[in-house]
Amino acid sequence: MPRPERKLISLTIDGREVQAVEGTMLVDAARAADVEIPYFCYEPKLGAPVGACRMCLVEIEGIPKLQTSCSTPVRDGMVVNTTVERVKEAQNSIVEFLLVNHPLDCPVCDKGGECPLQDITFGWGKGRTRVIEPKRHFVKPLALSPLIAIDRERCILCYRCVRFSQEIAEDWQLIFTERGAHTFVGTHDGHPYVAPFSGNIIELCPVGALTSRPYRFRARPWDVEGSGGVCTLCPSQCNVEFTVRDDKVTRVLARENPGVDDGWLCDKGRFAYQAIHVDERITTPLVRGADGELRPAGWDEALEAAGALAEHRGRAAALIGGQASNEEAFLLARLLREGLGSGDIDSRLGAAGELDLNLMRALAAPALQASVSDLEFAHIVLVLGTEPIDDSPILDLRIRKGVRRNGVKLAIASARPSALDHNAKLAIRFAPGGEAEFLESLEWALGTPGSGETHELAALLRDGGEEVVILWGESLSAPARATLLRIADRLGLAERQGAGLLEVPLGTNARGIREAGALPGAGPGYGEASPGRSAAQIAAAAAAGEIGALHLFQIDPLRELPDRDGWERALAGAKLVVAHAATLTDGLARHADVIFPAESGAEKDGTVVHPDGRLQRLRSAIRRPGEVRAGWQVLADLAKRVGLDTGVLTAGMAFRQLIAAVPFYEGLTLEAIGGRGLRWPETEAAAAMPAPGPLAAAAGASATPAASGPRAEANGHLLAGTYRSIWAASEVEISPALRFAVAEQVVELSPQDADRLGIEDGAAVRVAQNGTRLRGRAAIRSGVPAGTAFLAAGIAEESANALTEPLVEVSKL
Amino acid sequence: MPYDPGKDVIEVVRHPPRSAAASTYRIFGETLRGMKTTLARVVEGPLTIQYPEEKTPVYPRFRGRHKLHRFETGDPDNPGLEKCVGCSLCAAACPADCIRVVAAENTPEHRVSAGERYAAVYEINLSRCIFCGYCEVACPFDAITMGHDYEMSDYTRSDLIFTKEMLLAEPLERTPLRAAGE
Ligand code: SF4
Ligand code: SF4
Ligand code: SF4
Ligand code: SF4
Ligand code: FES
Repeated sequence: MPRPERKLISLTIDGREVQAVEGTMLVDAARAADVEIPYFCYEPKLGAPVGACRMCLVEIEGIPKLQTSCSTPVRDGMVVNTTVERVKEAQNSIVEFLLVNHPLDCPVCDKGGECPLQDITFGWGKGRTRVIEPKRHFVKPLALSPLIAIDRERCILCYRCVRFSQEIAEDWQLIFTERGAHTFVGTHDGHPYVAPFSGNIIELCPVGALTSRPYRFRARPWDVEGSGGVCTLCPSQCNVEFTVRDDKVTRVLARENPGVDDGWLCDKGRFAYQAIHVDERITTPLVRGADGELRPAGWDEALEAAGALAEHRGRAAALIGGQASNEEAFLLARLLREGLGSGDIDSRLGAAGELDLNLMRALAAPALQASVSDLEFAHIVLVLGTEPIDDSPILDLRIRKGVRRNGVKLAIASARPSALDHNAKLAIRFAPGGEAEFLESLEWALGTPGSGETHELAALLRDGGEEVVILWGESLSAPARATLLRIADRLGLAERQGAGLLEVPLGTNARGIREAGALPGAGPGYGEASPGRSAAQIAAAAAAGEIGALHLFQIDPLRELPDRDGWERALAGAKLVVAHAATLTDGLARHADVIFPAESGAEKDGTVVHPDGRLQRLRSAIRRPGEVRAGWQVLADLAKRVGLDTGVLTAGMAFRQLIAAVPFYEGLTLEAIGGRGLRWPETEAAAAMPAPGPLAAAAGASATPAASGPRAEANGHLLAGTYRSIWAASEVEISPALRFAVAEQVVELSPQDADRLGIEDGAAVRVAQNGTRLRGRAAIRSGVPAGTAFLAAGIAEESANALTEPLVEVSKL
Repeated sequence: MPYDPGKDVIEVVRHPPRSAAASTYRIFGETLRGMKTTLARVVEGPLTIQYPEEKTPVYPRFRGRHKLHRFETGDPDNPGLEKCVGCSLCAAACPADCIRVVAAENTPEHRVSAGERYAAVYEINLSRCIFCGYCEVACPFDAITMGHDYEMSDYTRSDLIFTKEMLLAEPLERTPLRAAGE
């Protein structure tokens, strides 16, 4: 889809000739020319202006009445006056009018000090009112949701929050109730406004009507400092600003970056900062004593204990979680390969099998990488085997924006029904695990005429337009990936600007960690490396006693990886388990011998890579609490204990080593990455990406487990798929404000199966398989195909990680 | 040894020698003239006072150490609600940046102030305060005023950080107030 063209025109504002891009709104053009026009309701992020507040009135010569500059596009030769008497009078009156019912309780209002209404009243108001009548009153403050407090007296009815709910998040929950002076914001029936993106309305509200409950009365703008960072809770890697008071993060705000987040945050990113400052956080090293108890220890003692890794030279393995930075991944890989002489390191979450390096290189080829903004301007977006709202929430908003504003044609192909189904031209369901089979039929349909939904999708991809972006989930199996590559090839995605593939990995920094070389058999920059075992093989080997030591960097395999029992045996089988963790999750509490306290995302100094190849910088916003040390430092110290001098003494040195080791990062500096990040596939060094060799013939061979595998059986067994809810994160569990959202086992069933099994929506159910039993709550979703059930994975209790087989038996409890 | 300026000094210029009468006048006459003011005031008695036994009274608008106020109830067992709502405006106004306010929310069970919020922590670092009174001016609730006490010296700096309890307590009025017309 063609991006908007930028044509310059000129107009006169307050007697000065200024230039502006055609089609921009007058208020923006004026601001670019240093003329300030006050406004409340205008917010370009929300789409077309609505002109609700009338604060932005200006005089345009040739038009008798004053015009709203927020909704008047500039025209060539326009003459605009913003300071003439008429305009001033209008501004005075609007301020006076807005304050008629405003309680003016600034001293107790959380917006005080950063409130546009205060600023505009001060700058453009008269300073006095003629109104002495009593004001309109509401009960206040009320909880609009567990996260948001609403004070209706302060609302100036600017429509921003309502527009967000209806046109951006499209959850349709917020509305204006009543009319005239009695209008107020609320939900249809007064239910709490709980939605994955609800927190954004706090930032949008130009007055103190909507305020954050966790931040309530915590600080004033002059008490705090803002520190730019990146949210590390999911692969969206939204740019954020941490509000810091007394060395504590008290709030998270969006730091708009059109290439990443478009200025929005999800509620996990916005509120789970609380996990940084809770008692559950590990702040000293822990060492398991002779009595089997974990107890706090000094750094020397812990490093000494972990130094026993050296005794397992050649028989050590490492796993690394998605929140690690590139530098940490790089150092961990060095520690394992150079220090411990083992290649058994894996960073892939999910059921990834043996690594096919050529396939991985081919999928990461720079020419094939779509960017996040491509999602918004593509002709066609295909969401394949991923649920953006859970896996990378902010992309969900981006796709909705593309569909709503730019007419992007959306197609969904997934096992589990998606929240985006309603926006899609086409939503295709395949059986859980059946993505390879589906893609093969799609590939076939691209070349053969026919009918049916796969052919419809093929026709859409083929003829719907030049720019096709395929958003695919990391859980795609190797055969499916190979087919996806062939489809991309067939559609010529690599040759087209604005088209390509965009992976949604399972871990925040999965891409960066891979590029740093934390993969079995692949070194930094997808280079060759000594062969190694994948996570599943590590588990089997450890359980069999072939692996002596396990190094777990910010990952609890019981929680993050499938086959819980297998990992339970593996952790029990390993003689030494060294972990880095911020919270004591179940698996670590029972099996780790040494635990190093890990930094939170607000403390780390390092870099991460966005799924679209954008390197972003993490900068420490606060001091590390307690005894916590930097991850790179711990790894470098530990390497020294096992006899490897990494030569890393600062975070910057770790970064430079990484840059030197990854050919396609060449020439990158921290300054160049800066606050907005830098996409390496767009740099010249991208040419140094190793070319994929010929793909193994086996990859893509048609016999996939699902193709021949079991279908729903008549005896009542259901084919199980898993999903990882947006809330399934240990940070959410320990954030007091998010207690209400903690993910539980919700078993998604089709209405047909629920009917057959006599299960009602919300009823307690049991899921059983091979002696494993999980309890959960049923949720009946009309989009779920009959014969399938979807189970939550990655949660603390009753998690589907325990399941190993595709079939489950669901019964009423 | 007599000072020998050597050849560098060509000539030392001195005032012309004075006569004996002129010198005498200079010694006694001028001095007496200067003492006239002093002697004329002797009858008024000494102005210095014996601090700390005696204290200089201050003017009513003297800006001494701060006080935080409560609403008055007239009942000593039931102190009124605090006037301060923890809005931090005083902290914003303070040019010495010596006020620290951490607010919290009132609950029906635990109501401290009249508004939605109250100051859970209110500290003034008096070793930094310049007694400008801006905090008093900034406060929208007249919760903080400057008192008359100027005796605040202490042995450690940290003791000069006054907490909310110290600022709310009835201060020892050690300083006499200047009476009208005094
Ligand atoms: S609550 Fe805030 S954002 Fe919503 S309409 Fe009122 S003033 Fe606008
Ligand atoms: S979408 Fe992901 S990166 Fe963005 S705020 Fe939410 S958790 Fe953080
Ligand atoms: S008197 Fe001035 S310097 Fe002292 S606390 Fe008040 S505002 Fe700050
Ligand atoms: S003393 Fe006054 S200005 Fe300072 S926090 Fe309390 S109410 Fe606000
Ligand atoms: S900003 Fe133009 S009408 Fe509100």
